[in-house]
Amino acid sequence: MNDCIIIKNVDKFYGKKQALSDISLTIEKGMFGLLGRNGAGKTTLMKTLAALHKKNSGEITVCGVPVENASEIRAMTGYLPQEFSMYPNMRTDEALDYLGALSGMPSKLRKERVESLLKRVNLTEHRRKKVKELSGGMKRRLGIAQAIIHDPKVLIVDEPTAGLDPEERIRFRNLLCELAEDRIVLLSTHIVGDVEATCEKIAVMDSGRILWKGTVSELIENARGHVYTANVEKRFLPQLKKEYIVTGMLAQNDYTTVRIVSDPEPDLPNTVQTEPDLEGAYMYCLHSSGCDVTGGEDI
Amino acid sequence: MIFFKDCKRIARSMTYLIYCVIVALFFFTQYFSDCRTEVGPPFGETKAVEDHDLIMSGAALSLAEDYFANLYICYPFGFYKSVTLNEKKQEVIEDALTEMTGLSMEELTKLRDNAEHYTSYDGLHEYNGYIIDSVPVSSSLTYDRFLEIMKKVNKTLGGGSSYKPDDLIFKFSQVPMTKEEALEEYDNFTNKDRVTGALARLFSDYTGIDAAILPVFVAAALTSEDRRRRMSDLVYSRKISSFRLVFTRYAALITAMFLPLLITMIIAQIQAVSIYGSNISMTALFTLPSFWLVPNIMEAAAVGMLFTELFSGGTAVIVQFLSWFLSLLTGSGQLYGKIRSFTLICRHNTVFGRDIFMTYHSQFVFNRIFYIVFSLAMVTLTVFVYETKRRGAFNGIRLFGKGSLLRRKA
Repeated sequence: MNDCIIIKNVDKFYGKKQALSDISLTIEKGMFGLLGRNGAGKTTLMKTLAALHKKNSGEITVCGVPVENASEIRAMTGYLPQEFSMYPNMRTDEALDYLGALSGMPSKLRKERVESLLKRVNLTEHRRKKVKELSGGMKRRLGIAQAIIHDPKVLIVDEPTAGLDPEERIRFRNLLCELAEDRIVLLSTHIVGDVEATCEKIAVMDSGRILWKGTVSELIENARGHVYTANVEKRFLPQLKKEYIVTGMLAQNDYTTVRIVSDPEPDLPNTVQTEPDLEGAYMYCLHSSGCDVTGGEDI
Repeated sequence: MIFFKDCKRIARSMTYLIYCVIVALFFFTQYFSDCRTEVGPPFGETKAVEDHDLIMSGAALSLAEDYFANLYICYPFGFYKSVTLNEKKQEVIEDALTEMTGLSMEELTKLRDNAEHYTSYDGLHEYNGYIIDSVPVSSSLTYDRFLEIMKKVNKTLGGGSSYKPDDLIFKFSQVPMTKEEALEEYDNFTNKDRVTGALARLFSDYTGIDAAILPVFVAAALTSEDRRRRMSDLVYSRKISSFRLVFTRYAALITAMFLPLLITMIIAQIQAVSIYGSNISMTALFTLPSFWLVPNIMEAAAVGMLFTELFSGGTAVIVQFLSWFLSLLTGSGQLYGKIRSFTLICRHNTVFGRDIFMTYHSQFVFNRIFYIVFSLAMVTLTVFVYETKRRGAFNGIRLFGKGSLLRRKA
């Protein structure tokens, strides 16, 4: 079990507020997705795993090392925080080299790694640019490069694709999948598409708790029989969104085809049970766990 | 190496650029302009000598005049304060005066009655002052006993008075230099100090003032940069130990901030050679100022790092400014001479006075070593605070601004 992250009954409080509640997970080599709404506790869990936060109780071992042993955890972990920023006046290659130096890498190895990583994240031609001159996508790629410069066993990436355009997002997800071939990559996100495209195993979090853990297909299977489509008149849409979890809408002339997640079959004309997708399955998971997801919220 | 990378990072910052400009301005407007002409023998100047008789008679006369006026000028923490004593405390001074002079109060009062009388006004009250010709000093009074009396008098006055034992020599034992003494001072300047030894003290005196305050700005800016750039987690998650990171950054700060001073030392050396020729010490303008000024940079940078990690950059600046200001004020009456063991800013605002400087040399050395050790202790404490923050167990205490401790309490 030395290639796993094992989390057992972990609690974490910020003052009186409980941020993590009885979290238990086993994360093996490959991509693992942590899916949840903003404020679900994903970042807190990520930071606790990266030895940046102290848990209040429970046990965590990362590749056999207790998380309390911060120096060893830091050596084997690469971390890309939610808001990645760097000294704005540093050049791209300098920034990478500096963070490599902080990771204790010798100069020669650093030089080689900077070269290869810049190439890998498509930043070679931007290496002389100052960090402040990079676009959002380029910065994220620099972020991932800095997180793996010391070749960590565990890569923790927190909301890495937020704010990226579709092309950058796809490129980023592919890069993460490549990296997951020989290490644990823990991806935290509230974007279902990212998990769907990259992860086989996932956990759904809300209010500091793990609501569900397993494979993507198991989560989808869990929602089978609870996802429907229906054609409704546009004027009924506001009322519909109040009563049901609407995960998709396709406008067609006078009607709109809606995807609905519901426990009992919705009392609507032309309702057809349909194949669940991950988005619907995720919403069903939240709904069946007692979370309030109605009201037409964006997912 | 992280050290050089951090030096480069500091060198690129606006705060450091401003630091360099101010150091240069201070140097050229103070030391450089003062030393443009060749120094000659100090004819007509006074010097402090440790003459116990002179000190005791001067202190007794001054105390008698102050007593009869019941007006004592003091400088507690460097601030001007005119002290008027109540009856009970005046009796303490009476006892001191009678013991010092061997005269009864009646005899002392007679001296007052024969003295020239004047009135003075301090803006609030009118005082009766007396100019007494002289008072005797008791033949049985030893100097040790005299110092004990002075200590008690100074305490009665609330401290910072002219009778503070440490300051007696400079207050009451100034004598005009004879021609021979002036020539001897000049000989010390040219031969013992080999010119630059003396210039080094003056250089350090001037530069010490800015070296004791300016580094805190650079240190606070560097220390708070990770937080300002929202990259604390990025740095916290690296393998490097907190000890190595904090001490490397500290070393980079000291090096970067010493560099402009080193350049001014080189300019001062070139100036000295151009005026006095090459038969002067080529090392003194580097060795003494380095030993004198580096502890100041170290202390200010350590305060900058520690208080920025604990609270904020603003708090660090306030703390250092207060200690700098108090040090300047407490030494304001004395621009050269005794160097106290714990004063932050050592002064010697003259190219002469080598003998008096050497008299207190061991205290000077102690002072500088104390500040080096004190600074290193503060940096070690910074390591502890940094590691605690890094583990998420402490997030710093905000004293100012939204959600701060002070605002919450208010």
